[in-house]
Amino acid sequence: MPSEVINSVGIDIGTSTTQLIFSKLTVENRASSYSVPRIEIIDKQIVHRSDIYLTPLLSEDVLDAEAIKKIVEKEYEKAGMTPKMVQSGAVIITGEAARKDNANLVLNALSNAAGDFVVATAGPALESVLSARGAGTDKMSLERGVIMVNLDLGGGTTNIAAYDRGNLLGVTCLDIGGRLIKTENGKITYIYSKIKKLAEENGIKIEVGSLAEVGSLRKLTSIMADILAQSISLTPKTSLSAPFYTNNGKELIDLSKIDAMTFSGGVADFIYHPESSEGNMFKYDDIGVFLGEAIRENQYFKQIERIEPAETIRATVVGAGVHTTEISGSTISYAEGYLPIKNIPVLSIKETEEASSETIISSILTQIPLFKPEGQIEQIAISFSGLTKNSFVDIQNLAEALIEGTQEVIKSQFPLIFIIENDIGKALGNALNVKLKNSKPVICIDGIRTLSGDYIDLGEPVLGGRVLPVVIKTLIFNS
Amino acid sequence: MIEQNALREIIEQVLGEMNVSGMNAAPKTAQTGVAAPSTSGSVAVATKTTIDDGFIPDVTDVDIRKQYLVENPVNGPAYAELKLHAPCRLAIGKAGARYKTDPMLQFRAAHSAAQDAVFSAVDTAFLEKMGFFTIQTMCDNKDIFLTRPDLGRRLNEEAIKTLNEKCTKNPKVQIYVSDGLSSAAVAANVADVYPSLVQGLKSYGIEVGTPFFLEYGRVGAMDQITELLGAEVTCVLIGERPGLITAESMSAYMTYKGTVGMPEARRNVISNIHKDGTPPVEAGAHIAEVLKSMLDQKTSGTELVKA
Repeated sequence: MPSEVINSVGIDIGTSTTQLIFSKLTVENRASSYSVPRIEIIDKQIVHRSDIYLTPLLSEDVLDAEAIKKIVEKEYEKAGMTPKMVQSGAVIITGEAARKDNANLVLNALSNAAGDFVVATAGPALESVLSARGAGTDKMSLERGVIMVNLDLGGGTTNIAAYDRGNLLGVTCLDIGGRLIKTENGKITYIYSKIKKLAEENGIKIEVGSLAEVGSLRKLTSIMADILAQSISLTPKTSLSAPFYTNNGKELIDLSKIDAMTFSGGVADFIYHPESSEGNMFKYDDIGVFLGEAIRENQYFKQIERIEPAETIRATVVGAGVHTTEISGSTISYAEGYLPIKNIPVLSIKETEEASSETIISSILTQIPLFKPEGQIEQIAISFSGLTKNSFVDIQNLAEALIEGTQEVIKSQFPLIFIIENDIGKALGNALNVKLKNSKPVICIDGIRTLSGDYIDLGEPVLGGRVLPVVIKTLIFNS
Repeated sequence: MIEQNALREIIEQVLGEMNVSGMNAAPKTAQTGVAAPSTSGSVAVATKTTIDDGFIPDVTDVDIRKQYLVENPVNGPAYAELKLHAPCRLAIGKAGARYKTDPMLQFRAAHSAAQDAVFSAVDTAFLEKMGFFTIQTMCDNKDIFLTRPDLGRRLNEEAIKTLNEKCTKNPKVQIYVSDGLSSAAVAANVADVYPSLVQGLKSYGIEVGTPFFLEYGRVGAMDQITELLGAEVTCVLIGERPGLITAESMSAYMTYKGTVGMPEARRNVISNIHKDGTPPVEAGAHIAEVLKSMLDQKTSGTELVKA
């Protein structure tokens, strides 16, 4: 069977920099011709890396949407791509940039300029995962069979993801970054409020307008490094770290041990290559060089093996452009003419609720009102594991329960969409079609795991209609 | 009973000569209730047979993907993780130059299951429940079936008569089930594959002919059946030759307007259908789609363009 190429783009609008990458994902049927198809992404190739732009701002709180759009258009041209050619990917607005007043507006504007299926995503949890994937930490953890953590040190935030043998253990995000203090001609021009408070609490004097002193900035960034060490259980947590979790987000679960670490993001280069600052502590008019040095010299971080990842400053954008697209299972069922569909909110049935038809129905019926913001049902996707549904009889019962629970969707103009983890998508789709007498369009895909609160994008079928590209996103800024 | 006494003496003598230390009591307990003179001079103790409630664990209950027996590994968890991906007999350790007891027993159990799968018959109650009537090839028993593959490809007189009487003629799709080399595969998978396959075809609006069970059947028998019934597409669900990983693997062979003696290249197959391979229910749904594309493209085998 011939392979097929999907063009994917990643656009990362971060606190300090804006970047794009274009990649080609090759999908192919890996199964022999006497087996059921097994289609996988067999190759991911980055074909164009943009310049690294400073993120354009209109003012301290407003992103310059027009300038960002121009950057995107220019890079599409350089890559020889048009929005039409791009079938997958993600625009991600990260770090402090996500706190800007018009972040959502910019996302939506770009989503259209970049291509029909390119999707706006954001949220510190997702960003942590994307940067770790871009750095290759998940893969290294799997290949070495060890526990690894990636710290993506950006301008405004540090995104952390921990993996055990390739499995995600947890993520967190802290407001610690290289551009939380900015300088100009040796003078401080900006201090982020949380950092200002941290300095005050520790008796370090820094003021906007005053001279940027190397001594006090070293002292301050070494405390910031301690906070990061606490966040990954290298040293016991103190009250210092508590206020720094982005949007009061969750802490990382306690890690009993870490075998190795990677660092990505703009600050990472100063950790691995102190010489890159060329002896100028204010090379980028901020505290990035200081923070890199503080982590490099930190007593707790020194105890853990440090591995230089494949990508550092580009880790997030590579994660967004290369590692966001998944492929559905290869035996699925879908009504033609409805794809692609973007931004579908996911209603998830918990595994414990899959026990009986009654619990499945009641789980759907209790949750459906949450998906009626205007009193009208909107397009939803219902997800569940299906791991205990393996016999023909199980699937018939499951189909009947799903039909009973989704009457409201069946009566609406939207297709019925089910996202299942277990490989039963096609059989369940057939059961639904027969029971509904083919009167309702049904999209039933498997091999995908999603959770409540996720949004999902289903792309146009590839490889002769066998599989769908799928992007799972978390649009929630605070998670 | 001189003979018996003489025999006992010989046994005692032999055991005495072996002089296995600590084993002296063994011959005595074996002779329950008989007070025999002890060759080694120790006092005989009458022992009672006691029956425990315990049981010997079933060796086939072990999931060999999860069993990791290597002692002192460099990185056990990493190897165990790799092992999870395939049911191979890896990381089973060893006792000196030999297998450990547990893997050895598992191996023999798997071998027995494979033999049973070949030599047993499909339960008639199961076939009745599925609504299948039974016909036979020209083989009269398993021995002939195994030694004469040619006879396993031809229906007997009775079978031809029964098919003519009971089956809908010229069906779009004819499906039947056959034991092939594993009756266990039929028992394990047909209840899920067959209804899922029929439901899949139904969702495409394709009608199915009268199903039945062919005993002592080889794949090639499907071509005679196709000709006899005038089926456009024929699909047989048949037990695969068992291996040591599973004895329950089933295949679906499919043809478009098959004919006796046609090249094998005109046949399609989906193999490895069992609970740890291609899940039976999903396999049924997939087979339905392949049959549909055969009807759409009016061909099968290497000519068939798979969607």
